[in-house]
Amino acid sequence: MQELNSLKTLLPQHDLTFLAGVPYVYHCHHFNLFHDQTISDVLGEERGLEFRSRAAHRAFSQLLDRIFQALGTDTPPERFEIAARLFAWMGQGKMEFSLSPEGGTTRGMPLHYSFAWKQKYGSKIRCRFPVDAVGAGFSAAIGEAGFNLEPGSFQATETTCIAQKHTHCGFTISAGGSESAKPLPVQQDLEQLVGPSFPGEHEGEIVRILAPLREFLAGVAGDERGLIQAFNIFAAAHLTAYYNRTAFGLIHHLESGNPKMLPIAVQLLREAGRVCVFNTFGNLMLSPEWEGLASAPSGAIEETVLSCMTIARGLGFGHWTIKEIEPSKRFVLQTPSNYESPFYIHQYGTSEKARCYFLQGAAHAIMLLAHEVDWKARPELTEELYFRLFHGSKTNWVVEETRCRSQGNPLCEVVVTHR
Amino acid sequence: MPQNFVAQAVEDVPGMRAIFITAMPDALLYDYWIRENDNWSAEDVASYFGDLIRANREGLKALGSWSSEMQVTIESADTLVVLRELTNDFVCGGVFDRKTPLGMVRLHLKRVTERLIDHLPSFEVEERPRGVRVMEFLQRYAPDPHMVMLRVAMQTGIDLEMLRTPEKLDKAQVHQVEEATQRILGLDSLNI
Repeated sequence: MQELNSLKTLLPQHDLTFLAGVPYVYHCHHFNLFHDQTISDVLGEERGLEFRSRAAHRAFSQLLDRIFQALGTDTPPERFEIAARLFAWMGQGKMEFSLSPEGGTTRGMPLHYSFAWKQKYGSKIRCRFPVDAVGAGFSAAIGEAGFNLEPGSFQATETTCIAQKHTHCGFTISAGGSESAKPLPVQQDLEQLVGPSFPGEHEGEIVRILAPLREFLAGVAGDERGLIQAFNIFAAAHLTAYYNRTAFGLIHHLESGNPKMLPIAVQLLREAGRVCVFNTFGNLMLSPEWEGLASAPSGAIEETVLSCMTIARGLGFGHWTIKEIEPSKRFVLQTPSNYESPFYIHQYGTSEKARCYFLQGAAHAIMLLAHEVDWKARPELTEELYFRLFHGSKTNWVVEETRCRSQGNPLCEVVVTHR
Repeated sequence: MPQNFVAQAVEDVPGMRAIFITAMPDALLYDYWIRENDNWSAEDVASYFGDLIRANREGLKALGSWSSEMQVTIESADTLVVLRELTNDFVCGGVFDRKTPLGMVRLHLKRVTERLIDHLPSFEVEERPRGVRVMEFLQRYAPDPHMVMLRVAMQTGIDLEMLRTPEKLDKAQVHQVEEATQRILGLDSLNI
């Protein structure tokens, strides 16, 4: 994986991460599944699946193209080999290809999405539709990139899925209608779209923990299954273009066609952020690794918040800073950069509304983690605890994004207030 | 029902940990007794047992072998559970220590249910509105139940306020909620 590690870059002072210039972050399966579910809740199951597959297709087309260019990989066998290693290294799963310039099949066993779906929901509900839109998009993208075909030459359909109790995930790749769209942003584009960087409260402590955290995360890669299983979660390196295209796509869909449902969609997108912070940030803070990097959580409110800022930066979410923290009353998170607003500006221009839905949900969850979790007791972060924290009276924290880069502001600012 | 009647009915039954009486068809807790050391949510258990009996009843009907005498036996790691129909309107679930011989469990439960039946009321069950029952069913089984109302609103386009008063939903809206419930739970049909 040396060649892939060598393609990783960091935008200094902004804590955004790139692979061959393509922005990516680490997210857990709880976030990924909830995010995808929300897209389908809004668009319907079939259309949602197709929409997500197309978003993944575009995002992986960009990544594969740039990786093959960077590594000078020209022949189809070399490209398929690199692509399979890339997907597994990202923690997205193991893929095998049986492709020709006319199409063919791919096979995943296991894949991050369906494997995690089965683990999380398999004993509770039945899966009616395949869940590996990312696997489908990747399959179409490698079919094209492998044979140097134009992006959009192929489309992929998942025909069997582990979440539906099949033994493996299978995809059929066939000729597809090409879709012209604005190119996705790369590092050079986003460098122009972030605001001027600045420090926040507790900056020294955050920077002190961030350096070894980055070192630790640099070694994170898929295991022999192509999965990253750590801290009670399945994590995956994932392309932010996928999250952004799907989230903003559904928001625009509602803004133009069904605006009265918009507040509900926003709540669901925020919920994905809450799920992420509770599971990924929370479990990381409770891990022995975190104890080695920082210290075991003491339960002090400011310490929990600064830990969350550090983790967000380490995962590539942007330069999250503490502007203000008043325990039991108010938290102001500011950032000149995150993975949502610069993408928004690049793809859609400026906006009248704030657009950082993930950031809003994350900030809200940070307040609940800081105030309602008894860290000294080292609790298990179970679904029951999540339900208790995020349902009912404990949700007396109100979140609002008061400023956003996409509105032309120099920074994004989220304020969480106790009502 | 007299006060503590259920406790009296299970008095001296060896190995018994709990008994739950569920009113059908809504699978709501009617009465229960739980041994001191066990800390279970009677409402939840009674609802799940009610759903299980209903599913079992439908399954046996589909096989053409249903009779009200049927009972369901579940052998878990530390408990033996036997579910039985008491009357048209009530079912019960008896929970025993795992080590209790199955034959004794059946014998004891038969005696207990005979005592209970005499004291259960007989009434015309008034079915609650279907919308209410569907929403309750969904919230009982959906993953992330605190978000499920939002998901139904998103999928159906029905206002959140209306979903919070499901008894007021019209027929078409109830149908939409049922379809959303099937999608969320991955069911082909709703057996409520």
